[in-house]
Amino acid sequence: MIRFEQVSKRYPNGHQGLDNLSFHIRAGEMVFITGHSGAGKSTLLKLIMCMERPSSGHVHVGGQNLRDLGSADIPYLRRQVGVVFQNHQLLFDRTVFDNVALPLIINGTPADEIGRRVRAALDKVGLLSKEGSYPIALSGGEQQRVGIARAVVHKPALLLADEPTGNLDPGLSAEIMALFEDFNRVGVTVLIASHDLPLIAKLDHRMLTLHQGRLLQDGEGA
Amino acid sequence: MSRKPTTSQESRRKAPSGAARSRRDWRHPLRSWSGSHRASARQALERVRQQPLSSLMTVLVMTIALALPMGLTVLIDQIERLGIDWQRSAQLSVYLEDSVTTEQAKTLTAQVAALDGVADAQLLDKDLALAEFQQHSGLGDALQQLAYNPLPAVIVVTPSSLDGGAAALQPLRDQLAALTGVELVQIDLQWVERLSAILGVFERFTGALALMLILALLLVMTNTIRLAIESRREEILVVKLVGGTDAFVRRPFLYIGVLYGLIAGLLAWGLLSLGLAWLNASVRQVAALYYSDFALSGMPLADGLTLLAGAMLLGLAGAWLAVGRHIRDIEPQ
Repeated sequence: MIRFEQVSKRYPNGHQGLDNLSFHIRAGEMVFITGHSGAGKSTLLKLIMCMERPSSGHVHVGGQNLRDLGSADIPYLRRQVGVVFQNHQLLFDRTVFDNVALPLIINGTPADEIGRRVRAALDKVGLLSKEGSYPIALSGGEQQRVGIARAVVHKPALLLADEPTGNLDPGLSAEIMALFEDFNRVGVTVLIASHDLPLIAKLDHRMLTLHQGRLLQDGEGA
Repeated sequence: MSRKPTTSQESRRKAPSGAARSRRDWRHPLRSWSGSHRASARQALERVRQQPLSSLMTVLVMTIALALPMGLTVLIDQIERLGIDWQRSAQLSVYLEDSVTTEQAKTLTAQVAALDGVADAQLLDKDLALAEFQQHSGLGDALQQLAYNPLPAVIVVTPSSLDGGAAALQPLRDQLAALTGVELVQIDLQWVERLSAILGVFERFTGALALMLILALLLVMTNTIRLAIESRREEILVVKLVGGTDAFVRRPFLYIGVLYGLIAGLLAWGLLSLGLAWLNASVRQVAALYYSDFALSGMPLADGLTLLAGAMLLGLAGAWLAVGRHIRDIEPQ
């Protein structure tokens, strides 16, 4: 599903985001990426989303070499990926329903189907009763779950999450991770960047540890 | 997941397949496209409504920029039409020498009427000319004090064709002037031609003014849309992150441009109709003093529709100029 081949990313300011990184994540896997801040976790996710381009090497997503994607193709790549952000990236002038519906509206889903699928996604994250609320009225954990509902509403084959439990207490964090495991169980490839080592250690999944842009360790557990 | 390296050609073929997969039947893309346009139009309306004051300002500036050149154009057009009407009724006045008797004048009139290019010839003898002058000049009493009639007899000639204006009438005029007993032939067209020349100057002025105001209108539109884009930066970022194309992001802003154009066009149309009606009252008064029943005919429907279409097109163009640059600049980092 995701293959990195000797990928390096050097920023114009000289900072080395990634350094000759190679790994392969198969379809249906659930993988954590850990490392200190600045180790390259976010850079790695941005490369998959085509928000950044590698300085050298190749990134393949779903059999597609991202180097061959023109800027006009990028939206279509992003439509096949669900992304959860640490800061949620919700639109505060729209209701929870409208926030979650956004990817469906963008890919042109018929209106009757939008209602059905948004409610299914909200039901999955336990926020069906909040569909008419505005994000500002929700707690941090609830906002994150709205973000997750939005990331999965269009049934992407690949789900990315950047520090999805960053601002949450341990109890809520475990709930969020359990949600990701649920999606993984139905076949979604899940890739989560997180530095919450105690939490990850409890879950039995593959873990890529980055250090200064290099792959330090690739294996199960911590 | 294939292990073999994908060639760029293979992957190029694969690129659209993801999008194609979600289009299950041929009606779906069309329906979703029109649905997306409806949604964009609705969004545009909402955004305009959310900022009523700044929207009103923009619309009013656009209205003025539209109404000024359009009003001048309509006005010049109507005055020009008046000139054409007068040209249609243009006549040649053939003044006879004082020595010509009434009998001779009648013979001469018959002779003139038979000429090529003459539709009609009417004799206005000295007595009739005096009576008419007394009536129209307001000098009735003073003229009665005169011992003799100073006015010459006139043959009023209506040419059969007026195409080409005064210049085309020159041969006929020469022919008439050569007749014995004719003192002077006058074509009452010169001042109509002067008027049309002056109107030509005003037309050019209006054209230049319109060009400048259109430029100003585009700048106003571009700036308004730029601000609208800036205030929606967060939203644009999120939309792009979840796979919104530039066209999708652009669409509501283009609709805002068209909407502003439509409202400004309607306002300008209304303003011009009212303005022309208001002006008409005094125009009638002036016309009446010149024994004319000329009146402005109000805003023509065709001009109004042109105004509307032009306004919407300008709104769209202004919005396009703004989004082209700014939306591409907003990329998720």
